[in-house]
Amino acid sequence: MKLVNRILKAREISSLAFLVAMFLIVGAVNPTFLQVKNLFLTFNGSVVYILLAVGIAFVILCGEIDVSIGATLGLSAAVSATLLRDGSSWLAAIIAAIAVGVTIGLINGIGVTVFKVPSIIMTLGVNGVVRGSIYVYTNGKWVENVPFEFKALSQATFMNALTYFLLGTIILTVVVHFILTKTKKGRYFAAVGDNMSGATLIGIPVEGTKIVAYIACGIFAALAGLMYVSRVGFVTPTAGNGYEMKAIAACVLGGISLAGGVGTVIGAAIGSVIMSSISRVLVFLQFSSDYDNTITGILLILIVVADSLIQRRLAEKARRKRLSARTLEEVGGGSNE
Amino acid sequence: MNKKIWKNKLFRWENALILILITEIIIFGLLNPKFLQARVLLGSINDFISICIISLFVTFVMITGGMDIQAGAIVGLTSISLGVLWQDAGLNIWAAVFVAILLGGICGAISGFFVAFAGVQAMVVTLGGQFLYSGLALAVVNLSSSSAFEGISGFPNSFIKLASGKIFGIPNQVIIFIVLIAISYILLHKTKYGRYVFLCGINKNAAIYSGIKTKLIIMSTYILSGMSASIAGIVLTSYLGSARADLGKELTLPIITAVVLGGTSNLGGKGGVFGTALAAVVIGIMRFGLVMAGLPTQYLDIPIGLLLIVAVAARTISSNPGFVRKAGKLFKRA
Repeated sequence: MKLVNRILKAREISSLAFLVAMFLIVGAVNPTFLQVKNLFLTFNGSVVYILLAVGIAFVILCGEIDVSIGATLGLSAAVSATLLRDGSSWLAAIIAAIAVGVTIGLINGIGVTVFKVPSIIMTLGVNGVVRGSIYVYTNGKWVENVPFEFKALSQATFMNALTYFLLGTIILTVVVHFILTKTKKGRYFAAVGDNMSGATLIGIPVEGTKIVAYIACGIFAALAGLMYVSRVGFVTPTAGNGYEMKAIAACVLGGISLAGGVGTVIGAAIGSVIMSSISRVLVFLQFSSDYDNTITGILLILIVVADSLIQRRLAEKARRKRLSARTLEEVGGGSNE
Repeated sequence: MNKKIWKNKLFRWENALILILITEIIIFGLLNPKFLQARVLLGSINDFISICIISLFVTFVMITGGMDIQAGAIVGLTSISLGVLWQDAGLNIWAAVFVAILLGGICGAISGFFVAFAGVQAMVVTLGGQFLYSGLALAVVNLSSSSAFEGISGFPNSFIKLASGKIFGIPNQVIIFIVLIAISYILLHKTKYGRYVFLCGINKNAAIYSGIKTKLIIMSTYILSGMSASIAGIVLTSYLGSARADLGKELTLPIITAVVLGGTSNLGGKGGVFGTALAAVVIGIMRFGLVMAGLPTQYLDIPIGLLLIVAVAARTISSNPGFVRKAGKLFKRA
């Protein structure tokens, strides 16, 4: 019974149920969708979004927001693709990409914590600066001719089904999940987002935690950028434009509250799969994938509204329970005297 | 006492913005003397009229403590709807304009309803709205006989005149902007409704207890911003002479920048229309001047982004004297 309750309370379970239901319905209309090969294609297509969503989950858990990850993805992709094209080693390209992510994350983190710039404003500004920097760095040209071996990496599969990228992403997500839920330092993030003054009072370094969250977010965006280079094979100056909104939407779909403190990265990953499979689903239902954004928007609004109404009802229920408990207590206290 | 009032008036944020604006005009004038011609300066508004119009009313939303990132998507939706209503539904162009403004209001009302009545975070709802309305714009394109790539063009001359005409030598767009500033200024600073908008942002509970219908007030601010987005869409369509679904896509950053730079707090309760209007012009002139000075348009986000961060950081620091001490402590710990 306790287990059932726990499952019902876990918000990512309802997201998972939604995902499964969506797949089953589409499968009922068009059975080819449920072929193992297609399912893996669908999952493989969502690695970039999963990484972005897991990264931004750190920041959202802290109760902040980061709208610069699309540009971070673009810049780290441009930098690493240029290095690879010019014959640098893979290691150098990976380190450069991650350095880009760490730098941008650090700037965001310091701006939000030390300079107290509201996070949406700070990251919106950084988004503009980084996006412009991509044009400066690439001179507005496409970065092409990425070595074939690096591009082939995205096609390499484990046991002929799972790409190494997907496998790595899943492992990374699970590891992050355990860090965030089972370790002391990992739980700081949700604590800060849930109750900042409370976290300060019990001695959690609130500002340090937020900076770490932004750096983690930057690193994940950089990793997503590397996978982007490998999958797409070239980088345009607009690479990753608008991905930040999709990552935020994925987190919300996966049950993470933008108010902070609530949600898990597993949920974020499930949300990203929902998010990125919508256009594929539409094609299998023989609609135009033009309606991709419409469906995403409707879904997003419906889910958060339903969630908000449910939460409100639960809060009301808990309040009533507390109230009745208190009155009972008072009656009991009276009889003692 | 009297001196203090004067000092407060002198050091108002709006005056700082005017100073920035004058500096900008002087610098760009030195870089390119053509810039200082009245015709060029007034005509430059063509490039940033939509930022000006929308940010005026997004100010209302942000004063109530909300956030609106969907306005850009509504610009594209109303533009293409206007085209389809005129070309494919055969409506009179002015009737189509009316319907388009109504449509913008409805889009705003939908998001506003969810924010106000369902208690969902404004950022999430308007993010959903951004997806929804930009998606609907594509759906509307499919209704028309033109392709999304071409857009709809060939509007009657009277409609084209709306954005490109002049009255007494002043471009119509400047007049539209001034009229809208007047309307929003009176609405926000001179009416009961405006006081309610402020009160919703300062202390929502107090507003509820004093019998103000906060939910309706909050919803109405989103309707206003939606309508302003559709007005921007109409002006842009008229100026470009073609209705497109992807207009306004890149407007979110400049709009929020204008509102925040104008002195409106994103936590609500503080701000003003006049500051926003000035900030929008500061941003617009900066974009225009930098392009005239030879900077490629793609680079424009860098100075705008920096301006946003530096302005907000400077304002926070100046209002917090203990800042330097605290920053030192943080670095010592790290």
